[in-house]
This record gives sequence, C-alpha cells and structure tokens, in this order.
Amino acid sequence: MCYIPQKSKYDPDELGHFGIFGGRYVPETLMPILEELDKRYREYRFDEEFWKEVDYYYKDYVGRPSPLYFAKNISEELGAKIYFKREDLNHTGAHKVNNVIAQGLLAKKLGKHKIIAETGAGQHGVATATVAALLGLECTIFMGAKDVARQELNVFRMKLLGAKVVAVESGSKTLKDAMNDAIRYWVTNARDTFYVIGTVAGPHPYPQMVRDFQAIIGYEAREQILQKEGELPDYVLACIGGGSNAIGMFSHFLEDEKVQCVGVEAGGLGVSTQKHGASLEKGRPGVLHGQMSYLLQDEDGQVLEAHSISAGLDYPGIGPEHAFLRDENVVKYDNITDEEAMKAFVWVSQKEGIIPAFETSHALAYLKKIEDIRGKTVIVNISGRGDKDMIQAKELLDFN
Amino acid sequence: MKKLVAYITTGYEDNDFTLDLIAALKEAGTDALELGIPFSDPVADGPVIEEANLKALQKGFKMQQLFDLSTEATKLIDTYWMGYFNSFYAKGFENIAQIASERGVKGFIIPDLPFEETLRYKPVMENSGLSQISFVAPTDSKERIAKVVKDAKGFIYLVAYTGITGSGTAAPLETIIGEVKTCSDTPLYVGFGVNEQTAKERAKGVDGVIVGSAFVKVLLDESLTKTQKIANISTMARNIKELINE
Repeated sequence: MCYIPQKSKYDPDELGHFGIFGGRYVPETLMPILEELDKRYREYRFDEEFWKEVDYYYKDYVGRPSPLYFAKNISEELGAKIYFKREDLNHTGAHKVNNVIAQGLLAKKLGKHKIIAETGAGQHGVATATVAALLGLECTIFMGAKDVARQELNVFRMKLLGAKVVAVESGSKTLKDAMNDAIRYWVTNARDTFYVIGTVAGPHPYPQMVRDFQAIIGYEAREQILQKEGELPDYVLACIGGGSNAIGMFSHFLEDEKVQCVGVEAGGLGVSTQKHGASLEKGRPGVLHGQMSYLLQDEDGQVLEAHSISAGLDYPGIGPEHAFLRDENVVKYDNITDEEAMKAFVWVSQKEGIIPAFETSHALAYLKKIEDIRGKTVIVNISGRGDKDMIQAKELLDFN
Repeated sequence: MKKLVAYITTGYEDNDFTLDLIAALKEAGTDALELGIPFSDPVADGPVIEEANLKALQKGFKMQQLFDLSTEATKLIDTYWMGYFNSFYAKGFENIAQIASERGVKGFIIPDLPFEETLRYKPVMENSGLSQISFVAPTDSKERIAKVVKDAKGFIYLVAYTGITGSGTAAPLETIIGEVKTCSDTPLYVGFGVNEQTAKERAKGVDGVIVGSAFVKVLLDESLTKTQKIANISTMARNIKELINE
C-alpha cells in the first residue's frame, strides 16, 4: 500500500478558496491552463496508479521513508521527547524533491515536456533540475540576478544537471522577481510549458496540489510516532517561508485536538524592525503571484521586500492555507530571529551531529521558546540540511 | 469609426505634464484613456511598462496622485483605471470604487482579476456606476468566452497573443473575434503589441485598439524634452487612429 491523499476538511472550494484566501489572480491567458490543470489533477489525485509511480520514486530515488529520529541529547537537555523528521536525508537535501517528483510526473502526463521553476537560494531550482534530468524534461530556472551572484555553487549545480538558468534583472533581483519573470514566461508559453511551483502558493490548484505532494511527510511521521510512542505528539514544529514543508507535516495532525502545530516564520532582525519575513505576524491580506494571502505591503498595496538570514524564508508572502489556518486558530504561528536561528544551528550541530539548514534552524530554535516543554513529545520537521549554508555560516561564525 | 484607447503610466512624470499629454492625446483623436497604477510586481507587463512602473514608484508615486489626476483627466476624456488587483484591494475595494466614481472614472481594468474573482465585487461596481472590463485571451474556449463576456460593460479587452504587454506576434484572431461577437454587443478592443506597424492589421474585425507600450517607450526616452515627448506621442496617436480607420 502506498500514500494516497485523502479528502480533508481543509480542502479549498472549487475555485481554490480557503475562506477569503487562495483563489486565482492571474491574467486571463492562464485561466484555461489552470482550469485544465485542475481538472487533470482531480483525475490523478486519488488515482492509485499515479501514486504507485510517485511512490516508486519516493522510495528508490528520494530514499523514503525518511527516518523519525529520537534526538536523545537534546531531549535530555530539555527534559522532553524530541523527534526529528529527517527530510534533510532526502536526495538533494531537503523536502523540496517530494513535490517536484510528483509535479514532474504530472507534467509528463499532461504531455508537457518543458518545465520552468523559480528559485531563491537555489534549492527548489536544484530539485527541479534534478527531476528534469531524471524524467527527460527540458528545464529553465528563473533566479534573481542578486541570488545568482550569491549562490554561485547552486547555479553551477543546476547547469551541471542540464538546466538553463535565467538571471532575472528586474525589481529587487531576488525570489519575488524570479517568480514574476517565471509567470511572465509562463503566460507566454503556457501551451507547452509546465510551471513547477516550489511551495504551497500561487493560483489554484497549486496550493492544494503541492500540499498533497508534501503530505507524505506528515503521513509517515504520524505512523512513525505512533509506532515509537504509542501516542500522538503534543507539538509539531516546522519553519515557514511559503510553507510547503509545514503544510506537508501538519496536514496529518490538523484534526487532532491533542496536537498543537506551530509554524515558525522568519523574524529576521526582529518583527519590530522593517527587516523580517513574518508575513502572518506583520502583513495583511493582499494579492501577489496569483493568490490572496497575508502579504508584507505598504498602505498603497506595494509589496515590501522581506529579509531573513535564510534565503528560503526570505519572501514577502505565504501560502494561502496558512493564512486560513491562522485566522481559524487551527495552527499557532510565531517567529524566530536570525540570531536565535543561528544559535540553534550551532546547538543542534554540536549536540546531535546534524547540521540543519538555516530555514530549519528557525523551527529548532522554537524548542527553547516552548515554556511547558518538560515531559512533552515534540516532532520537529528537519526540512533540509545545512550543506548549502556552509559558505554563509563560515562568514558568520568563528570557532577559533 | 474605430476607437483608440491610450494607456499612460500615472506618476512617471508630474500630474501637470500628464494632463498636457492627455489633452494632446485627445486632440489627436484618442477616444479613451487608461491611467496605469504603478505596482511593484506587474506580472502581466513587459519590460517597457514595468520600467515605467518602477520609475514612478522611485519618484514616490502614491495613490493620492492618481486620485488628483483623475479629477482633472475625467473632464477631458473617458478615463479608466488600469492596475493590479492589490492596488485596489489594499485601499478597500468599496472605498476605492467610491473614490473612482466621485471623480468620474468610467471603470476598472484589472489584468490579474479574472472573471471568477470579479463576481463578489459586482454589486459594488454596479452601485458605483463603474464598468469592470472583461478580458478575453487566445487560450479561451468558446464556452469560457460566452461566460466571461455575457455581462460585459464598457468594452471587452481582447489580448492579442499569449504573453505580456509590448511584445509577441498576434495569433490569428478571426475565430475568437467571431466567438465574442456572437455572445456580446459590447465594443471589442484589441490590446498588447499594438503600434504604428501593427495597428492596421490588429484592428481588423474589432471596434478599436489599445496602445500602451508604444507610447510609454517614448515617455521613457530620456533624450527627449517633455514637449518633444508630447509631440511624438500625439503624432503616433494620430497616425494609429488613421491607420485603424483606413
């Protein structure tokens, strides 16, 4: 038996609305393309053959199931039971590949042999280039010119994998602008090009589809914790940029009263400054990149630039389902500063011998913010490994 | 007589200049005006209009400038606001509809607000006497066209090709024009990539054309004085108006 998504009470309506959030805010040219994608995805959503194929790659290519590791040393220090869901052990080093494999297979079923993707630091770009190589798809990655310069190694990696990398020179030359240009390219080439969106954002059906593709994380984690502990955890923690690793993990715990899911946003230099990525905490509802959600914006609706030490959380928006879960008080959201995240990065590296990604370090730092953690069972989603952050970490930390 | 609609980015130059330009456009035969609202992330626009958007924001564009300009512009010519949905939503949709209505604006053109998402704002638009301009694209099926243009007001905006403003080659549009015409009597205007070279061809079978990037390109040309910009744009408008009515 393999993982197949199930209908959830948190599914959006027919047009992709989670309450007031989500929807489709795109140029008319893309509407028929999205309607077609939605229709086809509905056919495959519960289709056993499709999921068997996904499952084959999850197991033999990605290396799933990822372990649920009991973090003994940290547990002892905190007087709690802390488990790590090891998405960092996936091929390509993060949860991103779960989604890309499934979207790549879907693209092929739709008869589209060209795929595009946006990327910030390059993780989603690398995952997409990897899957394009695997499935024989032609791949173009849009990346802000500033990020291209900062993430030279990932740019090389994508090129090595056979992808074309477009340096986006417009706007702030970062992830937001990479997504703008990916959308522009998509509007122009939608008939033969599949857009592999990297997170639970964008126009419907992407937020729902990417959630289904990442929900393997929570599906496994639930089974694993019940096996190890015989009961559900008290807390489930995950970091949030767009929010795909978090939704993937939370989706199998949302309906359990006992479990408190906590999403951790990038607090940057502090949410009282202008330099953070905390859209839920400091933004208000608005429309960007095809969806309505919480958005960092000024009084005229101009989108503000986000800031985080981790490129993966450096985005002014957030997936619409998170906006909904926040307003409905289903999930608790908080934030962690750059400094707190860096401390957790060192802490977990030295206590457990696991170097987490800067993004993941935000979720880990939150362990120290849970006041009643003693005696509790907690799962932290280790969304990615820290290899990609080594150059930046070397500049920030001094162990001499 | 086929109509010419001109798009101008608000706030790229000060309002006095823009009003002089609007008067010159009107004089040259322009029938209606789209006042573009600069936005930080204009995903439906090509490099020319994007640059004008970002430059206007760098010059400190605020929505109040659009409101002030509209009070005067609407006295000269039929005026629509063209912008991305977040600019409307951030001010409160009902509130901005009222502001527009008070200033005599005819309607809204919002490229990232497709038909389905316009429905909830329909009562507000109707109460304010504003038209929500409907878009039709070359990717649309016959069934979708019928749905989208059924209650179209003002005019219908036909996107000439799959892509962004100011680029691309037009797809053959006869079929789609025919389909729109069987469903609606609302005037049908074609936009995207219309300039002096393409206007005559693109105007075939439709009731008018929308010109944006071609004008804005002149606005962005820093080698020209303000007077030259106005002269060049109005010559271009006059030529296009003649070409589409040949």
